[in-house]
Amino acid sequence: MPQKPARKFSLYAMTWRLPIIVWQLVFFVGPVLFMIAMSFFLVKNYRMTEAFEFVNWSKMMSRGYFWDSYWYTCLIAAVSTVCAMLLAFPAAFALAFRASDSTRRWAIFLLIIPFFTSYLVRTFSWFVILSESGVVNAMLGYIGLGPFTMLNTNFGTLVGYMTLTLPLVVILQTITMANIDKTLVETARNLGCKPLATIWQVILPLSKTGFIVAAIFCFILSFGDFVAPFYLGGSQEPTLPILILDTTKSGQQWPRAAVVAIIMMGTLFTIAFAGIALAYRKRKGAK
Amino acid sequence: MSAPLVVFDKVEKKFDDFTAVKELDFEIREGEFIAIMGPSGCGKTTTLRMLAGLEAPTSGEIRLNGQVMNDVLPHERDTPLVWQSLALFPFLTAQRNVEFGLKMRGVGKAERAERARKWLDKMGILQFADRDISTLSGGQKQRVALARSLVMEPQVLLLDEPLSALDAHLVIRMQAVLTDLQRELGITFVYVTHSQSEAFAMADRVVIMTEGEIAQIGAPKDIYRAPANQFVAEFVGRNNILSGAVEAISDDTAKITTPSGDFAVPMNEVKLAEGQRASFVISADLVHLALDKPASENAAQCKLISEEFIGSMVTLFLEDAKGHEFKVQMQERELSTFDLKSGDDVWLSWDTQSAHVLSEE
Repeated sequence: MPQKPARKFSLYAMTWRLPIIVWQLVFFVGPVLFMIAMSFFLVKNYRMTEAFEFVNWSKMMSRGYFWDSYWYTCLIAAVSTVCAMLLAFPAAFALAFRASDSTRRWAIFLLIIPFFTSYLVRTFSWFVILSESGVVNAMLGYIGLGPFTMLNTNFGTLVGYMTLTLPLVVILQTITMANIDKTLVETARNLGCKPLATIWQVILPLSKTGFIVAAIFCFILSFGDFVAPFYLGGSQEPTLPILILDTTKSGQQWPRAAVVAIIMMGTLFTIAFAGIALAYRKRKGAK
Repeated sequence: MSAPLVVFDKVEKKFDDFTAVKELDFEIREGEFIAIMGPSGCGKTTTLRMLAGLEAPTSGEIRLNGQVMNDVLPHERDTPLVWQSLALFPFLTAQRNVEFGLKMRGVGKAERAERARKWLDKMGILQFADRDISTLSGGQKQRVALARSLVMEPQVLLLDEPLSALDAHLVIRMQAVLTDLQRELGITFVYVTHSQSEAFAMADRVVIMTEGEIAQIGAPKDIYRAPANQFVAEFVGRNNILSGAVEAISDDTAKITTPSGDFAVPMNEVKLAEGQRASFVISADLVHLALDKPASENAAQCKLISEEFIGSMVTLFLEDAKGHEFKVQMQERELSTFDLKSGDDVWLSWDTQSAHVLSEE
């Protein structure tokens, strides 16, 4: 039997690991555990009291409006992901394959700049552009179209999601495709592949992992975003983050909000793990 | 002689203000194994890439079968390339890699599987057909890459330093595989390399390039024995190069005065005039070694500097009184009869007919 090398407890290594472990325990694991516990608490006379009752879970799960909100949030986050991935692709493709190295570096730097400014401020600036008397409708008015209602619609929500996710998705797609071995694209051309077909035949298969990571990021950000559906979508159909806010406001129902939050986390974990599994999946039949 | 398969007609390629290839003019015959050889940056890979359509010539014409290829897109050409990096698709199995080109050409599923497996079998790697590329060894990957190009049954196969990533013993084996394949299939091979041993071992003709221009085209033996100019003579190596002024001319020989002495050279190819500067080479293996001054009219006294063994062959590096370097190549058992050590004085000599005058500077 081959002997496994004995793992010695090293005080030195442990000392360096300790800060991050403590941080994670105190600010992540602790709150999550508390939130799970809280979902079993009861609210009496607008005050939260410790208990272990399943009433919050059964109440939320049996409400139609919760499930409406759940599926709506899943759907619009998915639509947002598809839109962001499609809108980002031409830009990322050009930056990865057509632009020079220095242009690409500058572009990535410029794409980071939006993150310097508050997401809320960027969202509000869309009012000026999308409102009934805004820039877009004024332009369309010149050619006799509109005005169109764009604020307080699903379209408005999606515009907000794009504001949030598009720069990140372009960056992730660009870096992914810039790292592709260009020889493989030339090889495909050399073996009779038409220019556009190289995207399906070579570039996407080679970019699979990076693109799935970009899509997961986009879905997570959209799924959990409160600002876009609230301000630009007008919370017509409340998404789960809006539902959490409403629940806490109405009758101090923190335990029920915790139920929603836990279900959101569970959903995101499932999607993230499924995505990663897909990204690193071994090909069928390959040994 | 059959009509040329490929013609480079005054082909020039510029990248911004850098000229990679200048006025390239040569022909490749059908069924020929041609090697394009030269140091890094000499334009050999650019030449190959232009033939594959991956670079467009700035001016001039490339013709394949008489058809001008300049505006033919890469995917419309029948010029598969075996890459230095092999460039196998990592997301496909060995067999799917080989099928790729057929799929792009619209060959049906059953037929392309059959043809791919036939070529994998021919390359002796059928048992790895369903394996991931990453699980294959260097030699196996090499064979997949070859099969992927050959399955297209092209008229001409392009190879860009395909053996440079392999271990030395594998290189020799793959050289044999390549030459056998080329003979058997009768396909024209255009083989780019910086390795003289690969080019000379396999090619029917070698094109030597430097700084975007052709320095010499010829059979390996001709290039070795009769280099056209100083660059080729030095690049091919194992040559002694001497330069001087032409002192006297007789019927078929000329006497050249060099700092290392006066030597006679034959004048069968290059016409020399008295007073003209001229250079000539003597292959290192045509130089005789002696302890006493030989009777030959071409003799130089040298000091032994060092020895280099390659198997049973040994190369001696020597220097004359003026500091000019000489190289002598001989069998090790032949050398052992002399019992030499570094610093010993010896005499070098050669037959006049062994010297070859360089036609240009």
